[in-house]
Amino acid sequence: MSQSLRPYLTAVRYSLQAALNLTNFSSQVVERHNRPEVEVPNTSAELLLQPMNVSRNEHEQVLIEPSVNSVRVSIKVKQADEIEQILVHKFTRFLEQRAESFYVLRRVPIEGFSISFLITNKHTETMNTEKLVDFIIDFMEEVDKEISEMKLFLNARARFVAEAYLGEFVY
Amino acid sequence: MEDWRRIDIDAFDPDSGRLNAEDLTPPNLKVVSASEIEPRISQLRSAATSGDFASALQLVTNDPPYGADETTKTRYFEAVLSVLTQVRQAEIANLVKQLSLKQVDVLIKYLYKGMSVPEGQKQGGILLSWFEKVTQNSGVAPVVRYLSDRRTV
Repeated sequence: MSQSLRPYLTAVRYSLQAALNLTNFSSQVVERHNRPEVEVPNTSAELLLQPMNVSRNEHEQVLIEPSVNSVRVSIKVKQADEIEQILVHKFTRFLEQRAESFYVLRRVPIEGFSISFLITNKHTETMNTEKLVDFIIDFMEEVDKEISEMKLFLNARARFVAEAYLGEFVY
Repeated sequence: MEDWRRIDIDAFDPDSGRLNAEDLTPPNLKVVSASEIEPRISQLRSAATSGDFASALQLVTNDPPYGADETTKTRYFEAVLSVLTQVRQAEIANLVKQLSLKQVDVLIKYLYKGMSVPEGQKQGGILLSWFEKVTQNSGVAPVVRYLSDRRTV
């Protein structure tokens, strides 16, 4: 792991560990509702805690918004050029369309980020919290690798196609 | 006419028990004005230029301007950020060790604030190494206290 990636991931890990301390909490506004307080337009400020922003640089950031019964984790994946922007968009979209099978994935990322997770008290009750944190950290590690690998494949493929296609015109 | 069924009548009831962000900040914060903050900023800068980061850090973490308004906080924060980024990587661990529990809590607030604004994000690497040293020393506790503390820097 590179030298600057490690502190970034440990900071995210500690922030998540602190934030993932959730309890069952019924809505104070609507009777018999139980909704993630971080997601609803909130009229009671006491249910939201201080948001945490962990950033390695302008392009790689994590925003963690904790509340009494849910945590929203948004990740901005590194996008150095236009190809990476397209790849990240396609990749996250692919995952988001299958959000049910990931449980904690949010269907739409929040403004300015590539992908968002929404962890509620249901998730921390049925799953191991430590493993959830591990999953997010793993995801952050893997997604960078995945994107740069895809970029390499794409370039190699483009070169091969161009050679095969333009070879016709060589006399 | 506006749809009266959708009017939130609880919002007009003073006894509804709803709290907004202002209700949550502690009432007895000391108000710090822009003119009071200037000498502290220059004190910080002079400590940082003379290389005395230990005392600069004490200044930063001892009495943060919780009661100041946003522009004053931003002015002060810029000075704090420049102090934090001037410290060499090797010295950070030593400086963090000299802080008390309360001071570490304040430091964590500045670190999170730094990472949420563009000027700090450019220096993300150094802020993250501060963060790492803090958590090596005192674990997850300062982060937890940051979460529930309504006094912002």
